[in-house]
This record gives sequence, structure tokens and C-alpha cells, in this order.
Amino acid sequence: MVRPSLHNLVPYAFFVVLVGSAGLWVDNPYYFQILSMIGIHALLALALNLLMGYAGQISLGHAAFYGIGAYASALLSARYGLSPWLALPCAMLAAGLVALVVGYPTLKLSGYYLGMGTLGIGMIVFIVFREWSSVTGGASGFVGIPPLGLGGRALLDVRSYYFLVWAVVLLALCGSQRLIRSRVGRALRSIHDSEAAARAVGIPTSRLKLQVFVLSAVMSAVAGFLYAHMVGFISPDTFSFIVSVKLVTMVVIGGMASIWGALLGAALLTLLPEVLHAFAEFEMVVYGLILMTVMIFLPQGLTRGILDIYALRRRQSERAARPAD
Amino acid sequence: MRFADDNPNGPPARPTDSPGGPLLRLEGVSKTFGGVQALKDISFEVPSGTVMGLIGPNGAGKTTLFNLISGIFAPDGGRILYGGTDIGGRPTHRLVADGIARTFQNVELFESLTAAENVMVGQYVRTRCGFWGAWLRGPGARREERDSQAAAAEWLRFVGLAGEARTPSGELPFGWQRLLEIARALASRPRLLLLDEPAAGLNAVETEQLGRLILEIRGRGITILLVEHDMSLTMEVCDRIVVLDRGEKLAEGTPREIQTNVDVLSAYLGPDVGAPSRQQAR
Amino acid sequence: MQEILQYLFSGLTNGAIYAVIALGFSILFNATELINFAHGEFVMLGALCLVTLWSGLHLPLPLALLLSAAAVGGVGFLFQRLAIHPVRKPDHIVLVIITVGASIFFRGLGMLLWGKDAFAVPSFTRKASVEVAGAVLTSQSLVIIGTVGVLALVLHFFFRRTLTGKAMEACAISRRAAWLTGIPAQGMVLLAFVLSAVIGGLGGLIIAPITMCSYDMGTVLGLKGFCAAMLGGLGSLWGAVLGGLLLGVLESLSVGLINSGLKDATAFLLLLMILYVRPSGLLGNRSVQRF
Ligand SMILES: Nc1ncnc2c1ncn2[C@@H]1O[C@H](COP(=O)(O)OP(=O)(O)OP(=O)(O)O)[C@@H](O)[C@H]1O
Ligand SMILES: [Mg+2]
Repeated sequence: MVRPSLHNLVPYAFFVVLVGSAGLWVDNPYYFQILSMIGIHALLALALNLLMGYAGQISLGHAAFYGIGAYASALLSARYGLSPWLALPCAMLAAGLVALVVGYPTLKLSGYYLGMGTLGIGMIVFIVFREWSSVTGGASGFVGIPPLGLGGRALLDVRSYYFLVWAVVLLALCGSQRLIRSRVGRALRSIHDSEAAARAVGIPTSRLKLQVFVLSAVMSAVAGFLYAHMVGFISPDTFSFIVSVKLVTMVVIGGMASIWGALLGAALLTLLPEVLHAFAEFEMVVYGLILMTVMIFLPQGLTRGILDIYALRRRQSERAARPAD
Repeated sequence: MRFADDNPNGPPARPTDSPGGPLLRLEGVSKTFGGVQALKDISFEVPSGTVMGLIGPNGAGKTTLFNLISGIFAPDGGRILYGGTDIGGRPTHRLVADGIARTFQNVELFESLTAAENVMVGQYVRTRCGFWGAWLRGPGARREERDSQAAAAEWLRFVGLAGEARTPSGELPFGWQRLLEIARALASRPRLLLLDEPAAGLNAVETEQLGRLILEIRGRGITILLVEHDMSLTMEVCDRIVVLDRGEKLAEGTPREIQTNVDVLSAYLGPDVGAPSRQQAR
Repeated sequence: MQEILQYLFSGLTNGAIYAVIALGFSILFNATELINFAHGEFVMLGALCLVTLWSGLHLPLPLALLLSAAAVGGVGFLFQRLAIHPVRKPDHIVLVIITVGASIFFRGLGMLLWGKDAFAVPSFTRKASVEVAGAVLTSQSLVIIGTVGVLALVLHFFFRRTLTGKAMEACAISRRAAWLTGIPAQGMVLLAFVLSAVIGGLGGLIIAPITMCSYDMGTVLGLKGFCAAMLGGLGSLWGAVLGGLLLGVLESLSVGLINSGLKDATAFLLLLMILYVRPSGLLGNRSVQRF
């Protein structure tokens, strides 16, 4: 069941070919930026998906961890001259610590508390970014973030940055896949189905939820790092509440508990505003409608829900066919 | 931690205390919910390697007693001794690791997981691959995963669900879900197994199979505490029976003694009924 | 001294509003065990309806208040019928996402209907402010604090003395048992939604004159109302009132004595502290974690 069969490798092969050919074929910096943005969003959606789709816990403040990653790395590299590659672990640590502080009390309880806790931390972090202008640049943003370099020589151009982002996404994909197919992943999914029963079969649910929450925050910080050094300029609005909701929407569209679906959700919600310029006006209404309708009719999420219906049909027809032979 | 008897086909971990001594001992256990005294001063012993029946009318407090033993609630008074040590207040997941497993009156399976995965989740406390193990997937982690799968298949076969390994547990017929829950509990290789009305909703044939399964589990050295309304099953498989009524212990004895106990009959059937007869509750 | 008193007054005024919002959270939680993340949006809708009906259409104040409250109640009704009722498997996370979706939807709708500008509403009464030991208590503050008192008493009476109120509480304790005794649980859930929405709208009505009303005012108010409810003990009526007032005063003092940037942080830090120290809140008796 778990042996990496050919069957499992097909999507990866498809992914690598698609990303590779797009990277070689595209020749426009603007497109590269959008494609890299899809990758960054995919990373965030993957991170949130581990928490929402698998462990069944919701975070309404994931933009905060994304922002902590971006600001911490920006500060350390631009203000204190640290190499971005050294700033990265510090940024991850910062996001992980904040997640630990919020998650520890809220995840001991089951229910809605993490949702409220993360909503709160999202707001606080946003306020800090905006108000603490001597450090963060305030509402007008933080400028002069150095671009990434490799081996101390070549600065990355848009194409190689695109490849870097997607390599990280690939890594995150493999990691997530391995995780959910392991003992820990099964335990997380069982918490989603019934936390009480999970505890009763011996799973330390609070600790596991906390671990995956921190992991998810740390992954988001990596996305923030990639974003900051790509665009060179960050401002609080990129990490506001609406962005957190947008991430939740990506996961819901992509199908909770579906690794590949997260890519779909990220791509869709990154491209939509680029294609539809009137979208900004209706952004909130559209997200709201998507969230409500998908959850009412396909609580497994869009892609996953459709796949489940398909699988059920197939099993039913198999069962119906069995007595015939 | 790996155990000496990690072989899934081998017998489960054996009690370490003196043979024949009590594995579980309740001393004056009480529990109240708001104004309701669900359990009042309950004391009895469960000898190692036996099947102990726990019967009583609806609302007698049987499930509550299970919730206390499995650490979901802490008792308000009294002590629960397991293998000689007080386990009151120990968290549930620790107790599972210590060898107490249970099933639920209303089946509590993980519906989106397959039957085999449910059983593998049951092995959580006997396996140890964590986040890093999952990512690096070294030889140890891979071996553990393989063993875990083999053990799951073995437990499914043991309860008679060998063909359903890949079926999502929510799609199994109800009777099979009960069996799967037992397999999941057994997968944690318990010393003490708590079964809460395992025959509820089963037909006559399935109930008979269940009776054989329970005796087979006892044959593997696992001590069983059984809550059951089906009297013929209870009388058949239990070595001893404790009767609860409205939170109090009414009687204790062998099935034969309980069958002829007047108090028990009146608790079930009302004070006017005295004639001893084999009755099915409900 | 006079300064502290002034902070206390403004704290009590804000706190009374948090208390009203917290009451809405608690009532819904009591009947359904649900936390409505869109609750703050009811506050926003109440305030903006008042802007339109009173300042815009120049309806008489009592009529405008009544119509606004009724409109928000109607929104609550539709929300329950269209978005909560059809859910087949009421998982925590599914319900949370639906209410979050509703929250952002209402916010977006508010933006489309009322635009991005903020509106000001005049005070309800023209009475002069009261002066106590040099500190000023505005007439609107008195209206707000009075509203909370009356509301809490009415609700207390409703839940303790009327059959409907008791039935609602019974539903929270056990949906199935309530159904067996003939209480129409579905109807009670609907009633709880409408009641909680109306109370949220009421919060919006009384806050309108002392703040700028805009489409995005709801989220922060909702979060603070939730903090207040948690502080007092989620599901406890007087706990909500106490929690709201306490939060208001602490917030106001922290602004006055420490730093005004801290205002919004106070509520959240308090929430974290409660969760660490006493998740059942000050007056909450039952444990938040149920099997
Ligand atoms: N979590 C709880 N909160 C409040 N009261 C409870 C709780 N659990 C059980 N009770 C009460 O304790 C008493 C005993 O219930 P329990 O479920 O243990 O009975 P039981 O013997 O298992 O009955 P049945 O045969 O119906 O399963 C009942 O009056 C019940 O209402
Ligand atoms: Mg029971």
C-alpha cells in the first residue's frame, strides 16, 4: 500500500515536467512573477491544508505567520546585514514560537478556540507591522530587501527564482505526502474524524495538534521568506485578515485533505484577480460564497468531494458487478 | 519502544503482576454529574485472565464506569487500581499505552479511514515513527510501517474482516463496524479490554460469533470487562458478573448465582417479579 | 484621579458594548454549541442600517431603531435557514468555515452597499452630559450602559422564567433528549440564531453614535465580544456582562496609562491569558471540554 509504486510517481513526474517546461518556455518577467506567486501560495495552501484538511483544525491567521517569515527575514537581512540564508532559520523559529504560544492553550481544548486564537494573533501581528513604524516601516512598507544569491556570487534572476520557489514546493509536496501516509498522518486524520475516539485509542491529541500547527506556521514562514526576497518590498496589507481568509478559501477549493488540490486552489485564486480586474470589488463576496457553498454541499472540499463521489460510484458499480461473475 | 513480543502473531504483553491476582481493582469509586449520582461507592476486582460481566438497566452507570477506567473522567471519590497502582487522573492516552483499551457503545470509528488504517491507528501507542521518521523514511521507519500493516491484516483476519482491509470504515455494515472497533482496540495490545455493549445491533448469528471471539481473546491472556444487555451472551462468556443499578452495586457472583438472585430480577423487571427465569433485558 | 475616572467611564461605555456582543455569542453557544464568527458582522449591519434609515431616510429614531434591529434579525434568520440548516454533518471545522464565509460575505456586501467610507451618527438624545467629579459621562454613554442593564435583565427573565427560554437551554444540554420530550429542537436553534443576531444588531445600534461606522468595523468588535464572553465564561449570561465591562475598563486603562497602540492588543492578550489560566472563564461553571 505504501511502497512508492509507479502509480504514486506519476503525478510527481507530471508536476516536474509541467513546472520545468513552463520555466523554460516562458520568457516574460511578469509571467514569472505570477507563476512564482502561485508557487508561494501553493506552499501556504499546503501548510494550511496539513492543519485544516488533515488535523481538522482551522487557522484564521495564517497570513500572520507568512508575514512573520517575510518581516523577520527582511529585517535581519536588510537592517542587520545577515545573509538571507541565515535569516531564514531565524524567521522560521520566530513563526514557530508565536504558533507555540497561541497554539498551546487553544489546542488543549477541542472546538473553536484555535480559530479565535489565530484570528486574534492575525490582527495583533498586522497591527504590529502597521504601527511599529520605526522597525517595520509602518503602513508604507519595508523597502530594500536584498535579493537572494547563491554561492555568494550570482544573484538569482526571475527564471531561477521561479525554479527555486517550485523546488521548495516540490519538497513540501513530498514531505506532506510522506507525513500523511505515516503513523503521524493517520493519527492526524483520526483526530479530524473524532477527537474523542482518537484520544481513547491512545493518541496524545493536544500534542499532535500543536506539533502540526507549529509545522504549518513554519512552512508559512518559508513562504514569507520567498515572497520578501522575490519582490524586495513588503507592506502590512499583504498579510491582512483577508489574506488569511483567501488561504482558507484556497484549501477549501483545492479540497481539504488533498495534496494536489492545494495546488489547484492556489493557482485559481492567484490567477483570478490577475485575469478579472473588476475582481477586487467582489473579492470578499466571492470568497464568502465559495466558502459557504462548498462547505454546505461538499464538506470534504471541492476537489476531494468530487473525487470521493467518483470513488464511491466506482465501488458501488464494482459491488453491483460482483454477483454477475 | 519495541517489545520483546513485537511479533504481531504472538501473544500480547502479559501482566507483570502475580498470576491470578486482580488486574483491576475498584475501591469505593464514585462519580456525580451535576446533581446526578452516576456511581456510588463501587468496589470489585477483576481477576487477571477472566471475562468479567457488568450488567444493569439503562442509566445504571456502566458506561460511566468505563469512562472512569479509561481515564476520560477522573473519579470524584475512591481509587482505581490497575496492576496495583492508582490510575485515577492519568490521561487516556497514557492508559492505552499502559494496556487499557476500549470500544464504544455508539461505535466511534474513524470513518474516513479504511478498515486497515483504523487498526493501524489502534497501534499508535506501540509504534513510534514521528515527524522526522515520516520524512526521512529510514529503514527503521519502513520496517515499522511494514510490520504495522502486517499486524493490521492479522487483526482484521482475527475478527473475521480479512477481505475488508481497504473499505472505508464508514461504509461497512454496522455489525462489522463493531468487530472492526474490537480489532482496533486489540491492536494496541491491551492487557485489559473494555467492551461496551458489543452485541447491540448484531443479529443472532453475529452475536454467536462475537461470543466465540470474546472467548478467543481471553484465550490470548487478555482480561475483559464486558457491558452487555444480551443476557444469553453474558451468561455464556462471563466468568463472573457484577450488577449495577442506579449507580450502586447490587450483586456480584457467577452467572448462575446472578441468574437466581432475587434483587437482580427485581431491578430488571420490577419488585413484583420473583420467579427465576432466563430473561433478556430490554 | 479625575483622569482615571474619565478612563473608567469610557471603559464602561465600550465595555457595555462588548457585553452586548458577548451576550449574542453566549446565547447562541448555549443553544447550539456554535461560535458564530459572523457575529461581529451583525453589529456592523445594525450600525449601517441605522445610518441609512435614520441619517439617510430621516425616519423617526424609534422606528429606525426597530427596523434596523428587525433587518438584522431577518439576516440572522436567512443565515440559519440557508447556510447552517442544510449542513448534513455538523463538524466543528465545517461550521467554522461556513460562519467565516458568511462573515466575509456580509463584509463584502456591506462594502458594496455602503461603500468604503465611514459614517458618523448623532447621539440619540440631546440631553447634556453628566459631570461626576470633573469627569464627563455623555448621554449616549448612559443610553449604552442602560441598554445593557435592561437587556441582561430581560434575558435573565427569559431564560429563567419562560417556557421557551428553558426549552432553549434544554436543547443545549441534549438535542436528542429535548426532542424526546417534545421540544422542537430545530425551531429552538432558529430562534437562538435570530435572537443572537438581533442582539448583535442592537450592539451596532448603540455603538453607532460613538464610533465611525463602516463595512469593516465588525471583525474587531466580534473578536472583542468573544474575548468578553470567554473572560466571563462562555454561555454564562452575567458572565458576558461582567466580561464585557471588565474588558472595556482594562482596555481603556491600558490605553490611558500605558500606550494607545496597545488598545486592540489588550483584548487579545487577555484572551490568551484566560485560555492559559482558566478556560471556563470567571463565572463559567461547566467545563468547556465535553466528551
Ligand atoms: N457526561 C455526562 N454528563 C452528565 N450526566 C451523565 C454523563 N454521562 C452519564 N451521565 C448520567 O449518568 C447516568 C449513568 O449513565 P451511563 O451512560 O453510565 O449508563 P449506562 O449504564 O451505560 O446505560 P445504558 O445501558 O443506557 O448504556 C445517567 O443518568 C446519565 O444521564
Ligand atoms: Mg452505556
